[in-house]
Amino acid sequence: MRSIVLTKGVPDFSEGAVSFDEDGHLERGKTPTVMNPNDYFALQAALQTKVRHGGHVTGMSMGPPSYASVLEEAMGSVYADDSILLSDRELAASDTWATAITLSAGVEKYQEEIADVDLVFAGFKTADGETGHTGPQTTWCLDWPIVTHVLALDIDPDEGMLRAKRLVEGDVDEIETVEAPLPCVVIADPEFEPTYRKAAHRLEHKRLRAETQERVVDHEEQLRTWNHQDLNLDPDYIGLDGSPTIVSSVDPIPKAPSEREATMVDPGDDDGMGQVVEELQPFATGD
Amino acid sequence: MTLDPDEYTVGELRDELDAVDDLETVQSVLEAEQTGQNRKTAREVIERRLEVLGEDAGTETDDETEGEYEETRKDVGEDAEGEEVETESESDETTEAVEEANVEEEADEAEAGDESDEAEAEEESDEAEAEEKEDDGLSHPTRDKKHIRALQGGTYRDMWVFCETQQGELLDVSKEMLGKARELMDDYAEEYEEEDVVAFLMGDDCQGLAEEAIAYGADVAVYHEDDRLERFLHTPFTRITAHMARGQGSEESTDWRDYDEPRYALYPATNNGRDLSALVQGELDSGLASDCSDLFIEPEKISNPVKTGEPGVKKTFERVLHMKRPDFSGFEYSTILCLDNPDRDFHPQGASVIPGTFDVPEPDYDREGLVVEHEMDLEDEWFSVEITEHDTLEGGVDLTGHDVVVCLGRGISDDPTLGMELGLELADAFEDAALGITRGIVTSSYQFEGHVEQYSKEERQIGETGQIVAPPLYIAAGVSGAVQHKVGMDESDTIVAINTDPEATIRDFSDYFIEGDLFDVLPRLTEAVKSGELPMEAAADGGEAE
Repeated sequence: MRSIVLTKGVPDFSEGAVSFDEDGHLERGKTPTVMNPNDYFALQAALQTKVRHGGHVTGMSMGPPSYASVLEEAMGSVYADDSILLSDRELAASDTWATAITLSAGVEKYQEEIADVDLVFAGFKTADGETGHTGPQTTWCLDWPIVTHVLALDIDPDEGMLRAKRLVEGDVDEIETVEAPLPCVVIADPEFEPTYRKAAHRLEHKRLRAETQERVVDHEEQLRTWNHQDLNLDPDYIGLDGSPTIVSSVDPIPKAPSEREATMVDPGDDDGMGQVVEELQPFATGD
Repeated sequence: MTLDPDEYTVGELRDELDAVDDLETVQSVLEAEQTGQNRKTAREVIERRLEVLGEDAGTETDDETEGEYEETRKDVGEDAEGEEVETESESDETTEAVEEANVEEEADEAEAGDESDEAEAEEESDEAEAEEKEDDGLSHPTRDKKHIRALQGGTYRDMWVFCETQQGELLDVSKEMLGKARELMDDYAEEYEEEDVVAFLMGDDCQGLAEEAIAYGADVAVYHEDDRLERFLHTPFTRITAHMARGQGSEESTDWRDYDEPRYALYPATNNGRDLSALVQGELDSGLASDCSDLFIEPEKISNPVKTGEPGVKKTFERVLHMKRPDFSGFEYSTILCLDNPDRDFHPQGASVIPGTFDVPEPDYDREGLVVEHEMDLEDEWFSVEITEHDTLEGGVDLTGHDVVVCLGRGISDDPTLGMELGLELADAFEDAALGITRGIVTSSYQFEGHVEQYSKEERQIGETGQIVAPPLYIAAGVSGAVQHKVGMDESDTIVAINTDPEATIRDFSDYFIEGDLFDVLPRLTEAVKSGELPMEAAADGGEAE
């Protein structure tokens, strides 16, 4: 099995790391970049596939050169064999559609020059854009089948197909079991859980971890960078120029103004408490 | 000058043709293309050049005289006085105006660079923009890719709404979107002209649901029925939607419309709805914003040169759908716009809508509308992903729609299990109440014992990243009142806070603030709700011993 895992760098939104200016706007410069947390589940799905069936995993990302560190982080956690960064300034400020066109060109180049790919994995939303569009749109460009919101995954390499459980949201939530032919794009749900039922799998997991720890030290040697010319992409169709959408304004989520004049109540004051009880009483059971 | 289109990619051809001013030459290029490779995209490029030469013979080429921008230009012409809007024909570009525009541009760019969904290399975007675009000698293959079927100068009308269904019914969010679409297009009719709300849906048996969509506000409901469409499938649903949107059905199913593609398209921000939105908007070569919490239609003045076509020029885009959404993991609100480029249209302007954002309208079953069955042959290969089983999950916890919500925060930390029990007892004393918790409890390492553990999960979280509730009565016990929590409850009618710290932020948005320990106060309130009388303070323990 040969897989590509798509990943992205995002600002680290965890408490203590994230920085906002006094207007409440995110300060990217002061906020460290980390691998998108949801991509962890895509990496887990790719890792499970590698542990169970062997093969090769490549991490792929689109972003500035500094995203090499994100791919390094990805390599460490998915035990990826190598990394590809799609990077140059023509790709800057891509929205999801321009990103999808670029990523699909990356996958296609990979298929033409390196090897056929069985699976492309991607996480659900990114922590910054939070659209959930890039995975499906990349799939559409590739003209592959797609299975999204995957909770559990089994691959049958002999049949060339996968079986997955996926989550459907609606007025009620449903779980579907789906079968799809390879090659296929798999979007992991944040509830995805890898399973390693056999002892052999657990041993292999361990072995891969040790092997990766050595490899990741020289991550740069496993990193390829492709620019838009390598990808044969017209600058009009990528980056800002190729993006249908723009952000017209960004507003901080407003700080809570004092909107209500709270009546202060001392629990020892029966009048005050009585007033509260009057508010509660109409909703009591049985009258 | 002769020019053999076969020797060029479409991109190169376009550049090459820009240098040709002779109508006849261009005409011969068109014929050569038609007898040669006959590429659709190449023909468009040549035809476009023909148009330009035909219309503007002898004048400067003008790439921006069509569609809505033309209307804008007219508007500008009529009300130009006092407006800072400039078109390139008027841009004698006083230094002042240029400077001003540039400043704005920078701001826009910085935003687009920093904030767009897949913002990359923002520190480089200014630089990249600053450079004049040069032909870099690439073969420009992208335009010939099958997944880019760009339209230019198309006509667009109507607001389309994907009505997602489940188990034979319209989802609530489908009705909510129809209600919002109705409201938007009623306003639109006053501002501009009458255009329709078009519901579209697919399923194995959905004619009745199409009729229902009319009752919820649609003017037209287009549906496609097929036994294989009982459940959502990415490829067939996308193919059918794109086919509908392009008006490619049989004449009977499309003669109600005379435009290229929808002007706007709304989808539910559910797992399947969001997927469909991304796929369809991609197939139609357009953009979208996901998980919107507000929508409005307004003109917007834009200085971003990618959209205006020329640096230093401001251009007013009419009828722009403003799509407001919480962004950056809930830290900011962004307003996203989907705007045409000068040489590539981005329509429909798409959005997915968070379920529960808008109200479900009252259905009016006497409302008249047009119900249209869509016809199209579905190809077997679209069904390569097969659903072999499906189960309904145990109903998730819905904290909305109750009379009362009792919410517990980290004030329970002294004895989390007891705190949770006291909260549950108070909730039980009401006819219809739900128990919620703050993010602080979800992420805490509290050890809950026994049955209360099940109430400590994320599914009960209230706030920006959890559920948003607005009950008639909200009781917050031991909740400090972080802004993310406030967003989830501050529309409640009456808010009662119980907190030992009189300076807790929640005081700013409470109607009653009981300054006390929830371990004492909750049992007394429970008792009072049950008996209708407030127990003496000394009797507080009685409630708990029960």
